[in-house]
Amino acid sequence: MNFDALAAVLMGLAGAGHCLMMCGGLAGALGQHATWRQLLLYNSGRIISYAVAGALIGAAFTHLASGSVHGLIYLRLLAALLLVLLGLYYGGWWLVLRHLEALGKPLWRLLQPLAQRSRNRTSYPALLAAGMVWGWLPCGLVYSALSWAALSGSASSGALYMILFGLGTLPAMLAFGWFSKTLQSFLRSQGFRQLMGLLLIAYGLWTAVIALRQLFAH
Amino acid sequence: MTVKLPEPPAGSCFHCLQPLPADGGYTIRLLDRDYAVCCYGCQAVAQTIADQGLLHFYQFRDNRNPLNVPLVPEELQRFDAYDDERLQQQFTRDNANNGSRETSLSLEGMTCSACAWLIEKHLAPLPGIDQVAVNASSERVTIAWQPDQTKLSTILKHIAELGYRALPFQSASQEQDFKKRRRYFVTRLGVAGLATMQVMMIAIGLYFGMVSDLDDSLRQFLWWISLLLATPVLLFSAQPFYLSALRSIQAQRPNMDVPVSLALLSTYIASAYATITNQGEVYFESVCMFTFFLLLGRYLELLARQRAVSAASNLIKLLPAVAQRKNQDGQLEHVAVADLQLDDVVVVAAGATVPADGKLMQQTAYVNEALMTGESRAVAKQVGDQILAGSVNQQQLMTLQVTATQQDTVLASIVALQDIALSRKPKWVENAERLAQSFVKQVLIMALLTFLIWTWVDPSEAFWVTIAVLVATCPCALALAAPTAVTGAIHNLNKQGVIVRNADVLTRMESIKTIFVDKTGTLTNGEFRLLNHYQHATELSIDVLWSLVQTLERYSQHPLAQPLQQLTTTSVAIDHVEVQPSFGVSGQWQQQQLRIGSLAWVRQWHSQFQPQIASANVFLASETGILLELQVGDQLRNGAAETVAALQQLGLTVVMLTGDRAELAAPIAAQLGITDVHAQCLPADKLALLAERQLQHPVMMIGDGMNDGPVLAQADISVSFAQASDLARSAADAVLLRNQFSAVLPFYQTALRSQMIMRQNVRWALVYNIAILPVAMLGFITPYIAALGMSASSLLVLLNSLRLYR
Repeated sequence: MNFDALAAVLMGLAGAGHCLMMCGGLAGALGQHATWRQLLLYNSGRIISYAVAGALIGAAFTHLASGSVHGLIYLRLLAALLLVLLGLYYGGWWLVLRHLEALGKPLWRLLQPLAQRSRNRTSYPALLAAGMVWGWLPCGLVYSALSWAALSGSASSGALYMILFGLGTLPAMLAFGWFSKTLQSFLRSQGFRQLMGLLLIAYGLWTAVIALRQLFAH
Repeated sequence: MTVKLPEPPAGSCFHCLQPLPADGGYTIRLLDRDYAVCCYGCQAVAQTIADQGLLHFYQFRDNRNPLNVPLVPEELQRFDAYDDERLQQQFTRDNANNGSRETSLSLEGMTCSACAWLIEKHLAPLPGIDQVAVNASSERVTIAWQPDQTKLSTILKHIAELGYRALPFQSASQEQDFKKRRRYFVTRLGVAGLATMQVMMIAIGLYFGMVSDLDDSLRQFLWWISLLLATPVLLFSAQPFYLSALRSIQAQRPNMDVPVSLALLSTYIASAYATITNQGEVYFESVCMFTFFLLLGRYLELLARQRAVSAASNLIKLLPAVAQRKNQDGQLEHVAVADLQLDDVVVVAAGATVPADGKLMQQTAYVNEALMTGESRAVAKQVGDQILAGSVNQQQLMTLQVTATQQDTVLASIVALQDIALSRKPKWVENAERLAQSFVKQVLIMALLTFLIWTWVDPSEAFWVTIAVLVATCPCALALAAPTAVTGAIHNLNKQGVIVRNADVLTRMESIKTIFVDKTGTLTNGEFRLLNHYQHATELSIDVLWSLVQTLERYSQHPLAQPLQQLTTTSVAIDHVEVQPSFGVSGQWQQQQLRIGSLAWVRQWHSQFQPQIASANVFLASETGILLELQVGDQLRNGAAETVAALQQLGLTVVMLTGDRAELAAPIAAQLGITDVHAQCLPADKLALLAERQLQHPVMMIGDGMNDGPVLAQADISVSFAQASDLARSAADAVLLRNQFSAVLPFYQTALRSQMIMRQNVRWALVYNIAILPVAMLGFITPYIAALGMSASSLLVLLNSLRLYR
């Protein structure tokens, strides 16, 4: 098992509390009478967008990753840093990551009219399209995951990492309303988010230590 | 469509309801108003929602306390049934003083003390909640609230939101609950025990195999077997730890089960991974053993707690469910005890248990109040006396008029008191818990550091060294150290008839240097008797004198007159009897004027008279001379002298306070060996004396709960005697139910002992945890040794506390 892929899944899973707060209610609002299939389609659209973004980023950094070993290590350090920042963000200790979301804002402005157009359409392709648009919402969580796609080395594996990440977020998004209230209250609780934050920070630090070790070994 | 948007809670993001960043975040304009949002993400989502005309989403969602309150699901609506007043009467008590209502609910789903904290914190902000005390041992919550401000169903719903079920307490179901809990642990223990034995055998085989070059495929086969055996242990046996860890995380108070769960899960996953890939190391035996020993510890703790609690709950359980009631036409009918009303007349058969508090309606009866007082002696009752629910009728059929039922009975209030004592945590327990908690955080940080450093030094070892650190330094022993000692001490004291209202006294006991004791009713029985007499008038027979005394004294209400009313069967005729309050009684017998009463009263006739008995306090006189002097006093309690001597031997100063005259106090003090006596004290004097001594050191006051209220309140530890029936009125920290002064000694000793044991526990746990940390971080300990060390350390603490139960 690849530990970078694990990081991607973990980020998605750890985001459960965040996703529930940010978009959980939204999923409910958009698909108030959503069937199981509709929800799945909608979320598939979202994950497809992630995969596309992952492929783009993966391809863009292919050269860097294969060109020099050091480049890859620096990239890995950057990813580790983002993971730590994400952990701090989850725990509510340092919210600097939200500034990263500004990066996605222009893109979202372009896409937003599309979102409006897909409104009130319940055909399956329209739902998929709406989900795809949703995938481009400015989200620090997604951008941190993208940093892992960047160091994956190829477009295909970049896409794979982002799909894994998307699958990690799926339980929280898909099962909103299906989860018991107790579980929801647990996932939303500050304590859970802090624990997840700590976990991500630990993972980030660990990655950084390994990367630094490689850096000094060469 | 016009939509009115709800206000988000102050300081929260309009969209996601999470706290806003310190600098205020961003804003979004919706319906011509600016709202604060926390990030670009929320801004974008909110904008999208608005653009799509979905603003009603904000309208209909729940805006309250966003971080842990979800919507109330419909299945919880049935709690509304409990708002019914008639139903509530059966399990609540109204406090007339402040209009609050109190109830004791049993909780399902408690796993640890974090649960208690979570519930208390969650209920406190509700309007009209006066007090919430969760007793983690008996899994009960006592709530006092203002019924006009908050409905009971609201409280129940709030508890349910956290994932617990709170329902009116029924003792029968609690016993079942205990059984369920025990079975819960026993089955898990059984599975873990069986698996551990098998896996250990394999592990030992493998260790030896390492030396003697084991066949590789055989080794892999054994790994797979271990994996299969360890899986039920991990998934089934270790469940309690995961649950408790999750709860504690939700409460933001990570407890020791967090590192335990982390260690168990990661050891298992890494070992399974090693088995599947057939490389690396496996530690299935550590998973099994760790789970087994931890479960064993929890199980023992559970048994200990249940022993402490069942003493209390057994009380209620013994009440009959059905009573025999006499209806209007004198017929007996069987009714449920729950349906008994005030003033009903019930009949209790010989050998049966009294179902409700009541007034005795026949001349005499003998009852056994062992349930309340622990004293299994038949107590005689007269007509009109109060008979307590839970007493056993010793002789013939008994008829009672009901004065209190169900939750209002004295028995229920004893149980409630014990509950409260167990649920109010003494400060040092809280301190120890806080210490354990900060330890958990440090363990997690240390484990992370260990992991990072070892990754740098030697990545192949990093994982297992970290696991060893997590396991070895888990502060389980520290977390058990204090609560087990308190529970044990309270249980022990209850067994000895000492009800501790406030477990803090256990801590304060050590610093006590002086014990103030009230004389009447404390050192003495408070029952006056004729102790001594001296006959001046030799021309009259003593029998005639007795008869004169008793005939006159029968007119008096004075306490000293009581024992003088039944002295002889001879009767004399006395006319013109008059009572002079605060002096005595006068009358005419055979043309003679007689007076009986105080010294001052007879000195009006014989001003030179000096009593023969120094402490005589009742005098009979005629106008010609003193006829008889009498000493009426109260008797020392059984064992009072020995107890005072023992306390003095322990280095305590015993001081006697009394409102009586010095002549009356001195002989009693001499009998008891008390040298420091303060007589003729008014309550204010007692208070001043006590306060003065308190400037030097903390002071314990033992007194009659009724009259010494202010003095008791001033003392650092207050102890009172109470007949069980007065319990509710007494405000002392501890109540001696058996009416024996000698119970003070075991109270003192048990408190000191609990302190000692607690201190040993904490010291041991700290020494172990601090000593093992560097060793584990340096990588000298395998997970398997770590599990053994930690388990042994908590079992040791537990066994040490169990000594208090004896």
